[in-house]
Amino acid sequence: MKASNIGLIAAVLVSGAAFGADAREAKGKALYEEHCAACHQFDGGGVPMMQPELIDKPRANGPIGGVIDMILFGSAAMKPTDEDYSNEMPAFGHLSDKEIALIATYVRTHFNNNGGYVTSDDVRDRRPSN
Amino acid sequence: MKKILATATLIAALAAPAYAQVTGVDAAAPFDAETGIRVPAGFKSTVFADEVGRARHMAVSKSGWVYVALRRAVDGFGAVALKDTDGDGKADVRELFAEGVTGTGMGIDGGKLYYGTNTSILRWDLPAEGAPAGEAEVVVSGMEDRSQHSDKPFTFDGSGHIYVNVGAPSNACMEKMRTKGSPGMDPCPILEDFGGVWRFDLSKTGQNQADGVRYATGIRNAMALDWNMAAGSLYLAQHGRDQLQSFFPDLYDAEASAELPAEEFHRVTEGANMGWPYGYVDPSVEGRVLMPEYGGDGKQTTDRGQMPLIAFPGHWAPNDLIFVKGDGLPMGYKNGALIAFHGSWNRAPMPQAGYRVVFVPMDEAGNVAGDWVTFADGFPGIEVVKSPRDAKHRPTGLAEGPDGAIYISSLMSGGRIYRVTYEGK
Repeated sequence: MKASNIGLIAAVLVSGAAFGADAREAKGKALYEEHCAACHQFDGGGVPMMQPELIDKPRANGPIGGVIDMILFGSAAMKPTDEDYSNEMPAFGHLSDKEIALIATYVRTHFNNNGGYVTSDDVRDRRPSN
Repeated sequence: MKKILATATLIAALAAPAYAQVTGVDAAAPFDAETGIRVPAGFKSTVFADEVGRARHMAVSKSGWVYVALRRAVDGFGAVALKDTDGDGKADVRELFAEGVTGTGMGIDGGKLYYGTNTSILRWDLPAEGAPAGEAEVVVSGMEDRSQHSDKPFTFDGSGHIYVNVGAPSNACMEKMRTKGSPGMDPCPILEDFGGVWRFDLSKTGQNQADGVRYATGIRNAMALDWNMAAGSLYLAQHGRDQLQSFFPDLYDAEASAELPAEEFHRVTEGANMGWPYGYVDPSVEGRVLMPEYGGDGKQTTDRGQMPLIAFPGHWAPNDLIFVKGDGLPMGYKNGALIAFHGSWNRAPMPQAGYRVVFVPMDEAGNVAGDWVTFADGFPGIEVVKSPRDAKHRPTGLAEGPDGAIYISSLMSGGRIYRVTYEGK
């Protein structure tokens, strides 16, 4: 853990791009923990039968709009899936495009997901006004 | 006032010896190698059945058949009947029933076996042996399923009535569901049709919720409810609200949000109000604390709703309650209450907690007669639960057999039924 931290710091020192990724990572994590972790848990494990886990999640590895739409509109607006959880996820459309992009990126690049980055423009494009 | 308290303490002290035998689990004792759980000295646990499915509430017949409601269908059936025919403490016969439905509630009254789906109360004639046959009779149907807190556990008063939990599809009756900054609605309109216990007449079939009586209100969700036959009264334990820190980070830090609010154990008379969503219980504050969605600051109190008999730690999630006859158990267990705590999910980033069955000593009149103790723990199979999915098992349902054996269900890891017996005669 420590070694990888040192590696990360070294990367930050030599690369401006790496610094951007690191800041995005920290902000995404903080926003995830503020708005999502109470229900989906800090490890993305969810709560059996109540709130879905986010680990190895098709939605987080699929088309870019999947996670964005879930955050913007909440679970009730999503197409029914074969999943069955008792709690409904509220819409988080009141968050900014940037905040939603950071959260979506965090979910799509953590918890064994490799869906990749989401930008503020991606979020803006999916708001109902667009 | 001080004198009254002193007298009460003295009476409690005098009454104490009768309950001295109830000691709970020894925190230094090992967990049972076979079952993974720990029970008090003199008791023994066995795995009555494994891989039963998403086991919820249970009922045991006089002939020893254990009827288990399933939250997910197994081969298209929503309940299973289990029997140990050779007396080794393990079920060796299984019969599925309740085709095409799933549910949580299960109970026996007046020669009938009752089953609660999320929208209905069904019943069959209780067979002498095995699973009930034929079409179920519909006692109540058409209750609304809004997913959140939609289970319909129930109990009977022995006088021809069933009492059904109709949970509130809400956290704190906010205008916008679980959304930071959204105020609580006053009056909370959800309480008209939800957030209470409804009583129905068992002599009628084909009823709707409107045919029932709202017996008690102000209940967020009472998975744990039972009629105390000795005291002649309904009791329940309700799940407190979630996410105080998520919505009010200026008032509650992570630690406060993990501990608050308390899970409440109540004696419930007709017309009683348990106070949700206007207030909650903080054991360090006298009176019910005004909910922050209703303008509370974490200290201000409200007189809406009754105080509980016991305030259990926050988010432990009481999922079943039974008053034990206690015939096969030591003295102190007679008329007492067992409560199954499913275990928390809303304590993160602090460790999760609960995941146990507790015993509350009670006297014949239904008064709490001593401190509650842990009756069974070790269900998660790990010392510290950081994330609920890591828990191997979580207690869900409780039942007492005709021989005094206590059954505990878990819906995790394929589903399991534990059997706890007293061996220290």
